[in-house]
Amino acid sequence: MSRPRASLFVLDTGPLITLAAADSLDYLLYPNVPVVIPDAVFYEATRDSAKLGAQSIIEWVKAHHEQVEIAVTNTYLNFDTARSVNPNAYEPNLGEQASVEVIEEPTRLQGDEKAVLLCEETMVTRRIVVRERERIIELSTMDFLNLLEAEQRIQSADAVFDRALAAGRTPSRVEKFSEHDAALRDAVRETLGTARRVPSGGGRRRRKS
Amino acid sequence: MTEAQTTALLKRYSKAYVSVADVRHALGGITFGDVLTELAKRDLPLPRAPEAGREQRIAAARAVLFPKAA
Repeated sequence: MSRPRASLFVLDTGPLITLAAADSLDYLLYPNVPVVIPDAVFYEATRDSAKLGAQSIIEWVKAHHEQVEIAVTNTYLNFDTARSVNPNAYEPNLGEQASVEVIEEPTRLQGDEKAVLLCEETMVTRRIVVRERERIIELSTMDFLNLLEAEQRIQSADAVFDRALAAGRTPSRVEKFSEHDAALRDAVRETLGTARRVPSGGGRRRRKS
Repeated sequence: MTEAQTTALLKRYSKAYVSVADVRHALGGITFGDVLTELAKRDLPLPRAPEAGREQRIAAARAVLFPKAA
């Protein structure tokens, strides 16, 4: 299989949660390029099932495992090991560190492949020192939505943000999520565990389908 | 942080004067989902990044993600 022309890297929880809250996660698939989510970012977005969007993100990743890669990182593996010793272990910059690790993997950005980085926290991209920086393009969620609007794939970028905020005003939705807390925790563990069981083999580490 | 200070900070974020990282840090390491919920409680919009200076970046991404349209 030939390498893709580009990949879309979701480098922090902002885009995932905003799109999940707006029931619009599928927009990430509209460019028809691989979507890469560092394992720690997936973990941060879904670790608390009562949080806005967590359940939608888990279900969406499971449903689209062919297009969506949960990228395994040493950052998250080390954190997970520390957490098994001390369940209260906390790493404030976990997602950020894992994102930097994923982008800087030598097996990424081969040939003339480009990387579009979707993130709200600009500090992530400031820390990335890739070999050819001109090959990466950083976008915020709104940039991405504006792009889809210009491409006439969606009607209104603003409407997506409005839907996300409307979801934030609906506490009953959050209560509904918390009823399924245990099952959701298992789903997160299973998704991350599956990603880890796939041998790296010097190439990309993808979730097993 | 008092309620007034929290609201003032969220208003600044809503106008894209500060980053969401600053907000999360100032409010004790809350999640992005919590920020979204706090904005919603106060009827504040999510920040729309200013268009000026970003058109080029969006156009470059469009050319990469939708090459036929470029």
